[in-house]
Amino acid sequence: MEKEKQQDEENRIQQQQLPEKKPDKQISRKKMISIALIPIVVLAGMIVFLFGPGQSFLLNSGNSLPEVTIERIEFQDGKIVTFLRNTGPMIVTVAQADINDRIQPAAIEPSKNLSRLAVAKVIIPFSWNPGEPYEVGITTSDGVRFKKSVEAAALSPTANAEQISFFTIIGTYVGIIPILIGLLWFPFIKRLSRSKYIFFLSLTAGLLVFLGIDAIVEGNKIAAESVAGVFNGQMLIAMVTIVSFLALLYVSEKLVERANAMEKKEEEKSEPSLIQQQQQQQPSSVSSMSSYSASAKQQQFSKPFAIALMISIGIGLHNLGEGLAIGAAVLLGKVTLSTFLIVGFTLHNTTEGLAIVAPMARSANKVIIRKLIGMGLIAGAPAIVGAWIGGFLYSPIAAIIFLSIGAGAIFQVVFSIISWIADSNNNVRSGNVRMEERRKKSWLNTSLIAGFIVGMVIMYVTSLMASS
Amino acid sequence: MLHSQLILVSSVAIAILATIFAISSSFSSTYSSNTTHDDSKRKSITNDHGNNGVTKTATINTPHGVYQTTGDILDPTSQVVNGDKIVIDPMKYLRTFNYGRVSSLPNGTILREFTLIASDDKIMEISPGMFYNVWTFNGTVPGPTIRATEGDLIRIHFINNGSKSHSIHFHGIHKSSMDGAFEMIGPSGGQFIYEFYAEPFGVFPYHCHMQPLEEHISRGLYGVYIVDPKEPRAPADEMVMMMNGYDTDNDKENNFYTVNGIPYYYMHHPIQIQKDKLVRIYLVNMLEFDPINNFHLHGNMYQIYRSGTSLKPSEYTDMVTMSQGERGILEFSYKYDGQYMFHAHKTEFAEKGWVGSFLVKGQISSNYYDYSYNSGQNITNAQQRERGRY
Repeated sequence: MEKEKQQDEENRIQQQQLPEKKPDKQISRKKMISIALIPIVVLAGMIVFLFGPGQSFLLNSGNSLPEVTIERIEFQDGKIVTFLRNTGPMIVTVAQADINDRIQPAAIEPSKNLSRLAVAKVIIPFSWNPGEPYEVGITTSDGVRFKKSVEAAALSPTANAEQISFFTIIGTYVGIIPILIGLLWFPFIKRLSRSKYIFFLSLTAGLLVFLGIDAIVEGNKIAAESVAGVFNGQMLIAMVTIVSFLALLYVSEKLVERANAMEKKEEEKSEPSLIQQQQQQQPSSVSSMSSYSASAKQQQFSKPFAIALMISIGIGLHNLGEGLAIGAAVLLGKVTLSTFLIVGFTLHNTTEGLAIVAPMARSANKVIIRKLIGMGLIAGAPAIVGAWIGGFLYSPIAAIIFLSIGAGAIFQVVFSIISWIADSNNNVRSGNVRMEERRKKSWLNTSLIAGFIVGMVIMYVTSLMASS
Repeated sequence: MLHSQLILVSSVAIAILATIFAISSSFSSTYSSNTTHDDSKRKSITNDHGNNGVTKTATINTPHGVYQTTGDILDPTSQVVNGDKIVIDPMKYLRTFNYGRVSSLPNGTILREFTLIASDDKIMEISPGMFYNVWTFNGTVPGPTIRATEGDLIRIHFINNGSKSHSIHFHGIHKSSMDGAFEMIGPSGGQFIYEFYAEPFGVFPYHCHMQPLEEHISRGLYGVYIVDPKEPRAPADEMVMMMNGYDTDNDKENNFYTVNGIPYYYMHHPIQIQKDKLVRIYLVNMLEFDPINNFHLHGNMYQIYRSGTSLKPSEYTDMVTMSQGERGILEFSYKYDGQYMFHAHKTEFAEKGWVGSFLVKGQISSNYYDYSYNSGQNITNAQQRERGRY
């Protein structure tokens, strides 16, 4: 059958070839499409063949086992609600539910029969005790039991005004406030000498690399614990991280290009004296950089802001993941949110504010405080959104995707920062540089590496406080 | 100037967020809670089918509360196994004693012949909606109860229709060649005749003795073998109870514990007994994997005759603990009407199915016993000899 199809296809191609024999180079559109279609037609034929009669042995060999994944357990008033998904290759019938390996009467909605990847929730009336560990088991009709445990039962948040404001407050404490505190370093960073500035910039890169790795590790943990094999969680992390990295790299390049173009226009309009005036306004402590700032003025103006913005977005995505983790932790009863934990998160996230401020400090333009705060909000507010999602609509797959996007965003930011440092180094060397400046080169590298290491260490130490 | 860029970037961010949000909400479902507490009621289930036949709601009513659902009920404690693949009818098994095809030898000895057929391919319902590959004697777990009087000659025609070698090992006194421990009876129709005298009197298990023994027993190849003393015991409402379990996920731990094959069965089908009437239970423990099992009776005490090998009771108690293969005869009568539980006082076992109840009544309709005594369970031409009852 598929041979006939193939022949038809070839005939069609031949017929099309006949009228236009003279120009060989110019292949018609139609011909291109039909050439491209040949493998697809053959593939379709192959699939029809495999599903055809007498071939079932090929597709149905081997033992396929049923699999049910418990994705979430909620503790509600007087009952325990378990969300499950059929993640195996076949239809599954749920026969029984248990709590702590003791059979309990239960209801299952919408049906005890789950088709592939279908979801159901099992409602078990149960007088559970807050703060105690529980294990919920689901047994399928073939007697196989699937289980998931909860470290400490806690009343699941329901999306009412009280809970929403609770998560909002937590998100504000964990996300916005620390970042805004971190932004207060702006005047300090602005007055630093170049080498010290490079130190803080690479410190930022160190902080971010830590956060990126942290997001991947956290995602991997969720993938291993709560995501069924069918979703291939680990590869999802890798894919989303890389896609996010590339997409944001592209966006940031576009952003810089646009900023450059706008800058040129502005330059044409503005008078030269104004630029000179600006240069004179620079603090004396950075006078050694004057030649650098003159030659690389364009980048100074556009790139710092673009990088800061990208850092804000990257940190925002990271904080979304963090908020998600906090919300989910409350939902899953994994942590009791103590003041200590919130203090830990606050300390940890204050450094994120520093990360935003560092590149901005070299912007030749006046930095408007409003913009700075705006960036702080871009970076911090997602923690609130994350807490809502994590608390009310937690899904391990969504959590992995969030965390991976965050990781990709952060690596993109690190890439930008490092290439920016490298660029400015080149500018320094190519410009009118004195001997002292050259001798300082090795010292500059030291500050870069030291900054990176210190950044990682700070992150690790503060993360200890945030881990319960 | 940078506002447009800010808008560009934030719109990209919002688009990403919206996508993720959509994904996350598709992976989770919302719920509505409607629980009321009702501690006074015991577990029960009602199914209300709407008049139009479209809407269906069911209610679970547990000590923890009531829940009404449009979905399905998962409740082995009150749901009835009623498929044709049910592993056994516990009510029928309870009072069925198989005395075999009876004939007399020239010397006056009574010969009792039985046929036991082993199979290991059946996937049967052991709990509501739960199917498990049981290995059976005569198609049920436990296998049929074999009963004789001390001194009778017992002849078992054993046919192995399974895919693996099996055997029957009877407890009691017999020759080495009849022990069933060394002769593997080949699969797919292998046969063997076990012949031995019924001695001593008492209650015993019989089971397959092939390797791996744990698997051959836990899968269900066992049953009860009773030898009555020559001087019969006092008339009583006699019943047999086999304590067992099922390891449905093959992790060497039982997922279910039962008495007479189906978890919770006698909770929704209480065993009716008459007030002040002597009840005699032939109790055998064949539970695999767990070192002990036990039997606790509510609202009463019983005399226990350990192994049934003595006519004098060994203890007056409401609680007996047995290891695998241990057994005894329990005798009691109820002073008051009502429903009384009996269960393993290893509460884990009770909460996985080993729990049942007696319904004590002043008078019981004869129909009830007709059902219970309707025997012949898969044993061809089984002749029942009514004795020791009423």
